[in-house]
Amino acid sequence: MSQTTDTQQHATGSGRAAGYAAGIKDVVVLELKQRLRARGWYIMLAIWFVLTGLVTWLTWASWNATQAAQRSYSDFVPAQTGPGSMIFEVVLAFVLLFALLVAPALSANAVNGDRAGGTLAILQVTLLQPGQILWGKFFAAWFAALGFLVASTPFLVIGVALGGMTPGHVLVALLMLAVEVAIVCAVGVGISALAGRPLFSIVVTYLAVAGLVIGTLIAFGLGTGLTQGTIMANQAQYREYQPLSNGPVEPEYTCSGPLREQPAPRTERVAWFLAMNPYVVVADAIPYPERTGQLGFSSVGAIENISQGARFAMAGPEGTYPCANGVAKPRYLGQATPLWPLGLGLQLVLAGLLMWLGWRSLRTPAHRLARGTRIA
Amino acid sequence: MTIEEDSSGVPAVPEERATDGITATGVSRKFGQVHAVEDMDFHAPAGKVTALIGPNGAGKTTLLLMLASLLAPDSGAVSVGGLDPQRDRAAVRSRIGWMPDTLGVWESLTAREILTQMARFYRLPAAGIGQRVAEMLDRVRLADLADQPARVLSRGQQQRLSLARALIHDPSVLLLDEPASGLDPGSRVELRIMLRQLAQEGKAVVVSSHVLSELDEIADGAVFVNKGRTVKQQTTEEAHAAGRRYAISATDGAALAAKLHELGLAFRQEDGRRPAVSLVLFNDDDAARLLRDLVLAGVPVSSFAPASGALEETYMNLEGERR
Repeated sequence: MSQTTDTQQHATGSGRAAGYAAGIKDVVVLELKQRLRARGWYIMLAIWFVLTGLVTWLTWASWNATQAAQRSYSDFVPAQTGPGSMIFEVVLAFVLLFALLVAPALSANAVNGDRAGGTLAILQVTLLQPGQILWGKFFAAWFAALGFLVASTPFLVIGVALGGMTPGHVLVALLMLAVEVAIVCAVGVGISALAGRPLFSIVVTYLAVAGLVIGTLIAFGLGTGLTQGTIMANQAQYREYQPLSNGPVEPEYTCSGPLREQPAPRTERVAWFLAMNPYVVVADAIPYPERTGQLGFSSVGAIENISQGARFAMAGPEGTYPCANGVAKPRYLGQATPLWPLGLGLQLVLAGLLMWLGWRSLRTPAHRLARGTRIA
Repeated sequence: MTIEEDSSGVPAVPEERATDGITATGVSRKFGQVHAVEDMDFHAPAGKVTALIGPNGAGKTTLLLMLASLLAPDSGAVSVGGLDPQRDRAAVRSRIGWMPDTLGVWESLTAREILTQMARFYRLPAAGIGQRVAEMLDRVRLADLADQPARVLSRGQQQRLSLARALIHDPSVLLLDEPASGLDPGSRVELRIMLRQLAQEGKAVVVSSHVLSELDEIADGAVFVNKGRTVKQQTTEEAHAAGRRYAISATDGAALAAKLHELGLAFRQEDGRRPAVSLVLFNDDDAARLLRDLVLAGVPVSSFAPASGALEETYMNLEGERR
C-alpha cells in the first residue's frame, strides 16, 4: 500500500520504490514552485519574523526591567540563570503557537483547493498514484511550514546565547516543533482530501488543532472527575523545617501506621489526553537537568513544569500520592519514563488515520464521491 | 424528394468491437439518486474523430470521466485498446490523453514548466523531456509564450496549452471535453485541422461538444446521448445520407412558394429575420436539381444554402422525438 513511508520503501531497495519516491518529488516540486511564487507566503514569513523578534525583545526587556526594579528597591539579587531560559521558553511557546496556527493554513486546502481549481484530476489522470499525490502535497505543505521554523531559529539561538541553555536545547526544540508541524500538516492534508470545500477543511483542521491544544486539557480535566478511585496509603509524617541543612532533601516525610483506603483520582487513566497536547509533547521531549537533589522549585521553567505536571498525571496516585502503599514518593519525577513518545504516537495514529482516509478518497477510478464533488 | 426522418430509432451498435480505440459497453453510473449515465454504449475507433453529442446534462462529461479512468462505472466495462482501466491502470493511463472541460491550469507556472511536469508525471525518459516539450509548444503555437506564467495566457492559449498537456505522452486515445468552447473562429479552424491530423496519425479522438456545425467538419462519426443513454450512433456519411435541411430565400416569396408547391415539395416557412423557407433534401444532387429548377422557373432566388449541419439535423430530430 502506498501508505508505507519512504524510508521503508528505500529499505526494500527496489527500483519501484525509487520510482515511487521520484513521483512524490515531482509533486513536491510542482507544489513548491507554486507556493514560492505566491507573495502571500513571503508576507506571512515577514510578519512571523517581525512578531517573533518583537516577542523576544519584549521578553528580554521585561526581564531586564524586573531585575532593575528588584535591584533598586532591595539589595536582594535573586540567583538566576539569566534571561536565557525565560526567553527560550517564551519564544518556544510562541513559535509553537504560531506554527500550530500557520500549518493548517498551509496544508488544509492542498487537495480540495486543487479539486476546486480543476487541477487535481489533471494529476490523477497521469501515472501518479494517489499515495504519491498525497505525500507530495504533505511534504510541500510541511516544507512551506518549516520555512517559518527556520525564520524563528535566530530567536531561539538568542535564547541560548543569553545564557542558561545549551545548543542541544535548540536542536531538540526545533526537531520537536518540526515534528508537531508535520503532524498538523498531515491532519490538514488528510482532511482536505476528505472535505469538499477548502473553507470547511481549513476550519475543521483548526478545530482539530484546537482540540489537541485545548480540547486535551478540557478532556483531561473533566475526565479526571470520572476516574475517582481509592488508594491504599498510610500516614505521612513531615520532617521539621531545616532551612540550612545540607543533607538529602528527599524524602520530605516518612510513612508509618496501617495502610488505609484513601480516595484519590486515578489520573493515569486519562493522562493520555494530556500526552497528546503538542505543548506537552514538545516540553516533555526537551531535556532538563535532574533536580531530585535540589530543594524548591523556584527556578524551574515553564517547560519543566508542564513536563512534570504531565508526568505526575501519568504516574497517577500509585506514584505520587503521599505514602501510597506505605512508600514515600519523590517530589520530583525523573526523566526515565518520558511521556512524549505516547503523545506523539497517539498524534501519529490520528494523522495517519486521516492520511489513510484521504488516500482512499484519491483512488481512481473512483467508486464513491463525496456529496456534491465533481471529480474534474 | 422530402424524406421521413430516420425512424429506426434503435442505437446502431456495431457488432464486432475492435480492440483498437476506446470502447464502453453498457456502462452505468449514478450519483446518489441521479442516474448520470445509464447503460451507455460507446465506441471510438482508432484513426477517426468521434463526436460525443448531447444536450447539457446528458452525461457526456460523466462518460468521458469513465473513459478517462477517473471514475469507475457502477456496471459495465470500459476497454482501452483491449485493456481494463481497473486492472491495468498504468498501461491505460499512458495511452489516454484527457483534456477536461474545466481548464485547470497551474497559473503561476510557465507553459514550459507545466508540460515538463506533466512529462515527468507520465514518466517519460528524462533525457527526451526538453525536446518533447519544445515540440509540443511548437505544435500548439505557444513557443513564443513558453516562459510566461500561464495566468497571462488568454483563454484560447490556455486551451491550447491544455491540449498540449493531454498530448505530451503521445497517447493513442485522446478525450477532449468541449475543446472548442471559448475559442475564437480562427482558433476553432486551427483546432479542427489539428484534430484531423491527430486522427490521421492513428489516434482515436473523442470530442464532446454541443457546437454541432464544427463537429460536422471534423467528426467521422457521432454518438448521440441524451438523459444518460446512447440515443444514436452514426457516421457523418450516414448523417449526410439521412438528408439535410436547406434554407432558400427569394426576393419574391410568393413565387418561390408557388414553384415549390408545383414541384410537390413539403416545406416550412422559417420565421427568421429574412423571409425564407426550408426543406429537407436527400443529397447534393437533389439540391443542385432543385436550384436549377427554381432559377429556370424564374424564381428570384437570393440565397440557397444548407440551413444546418448534418449532425445538427440529427440532433434536432432527436430532440424533437424527446418532446
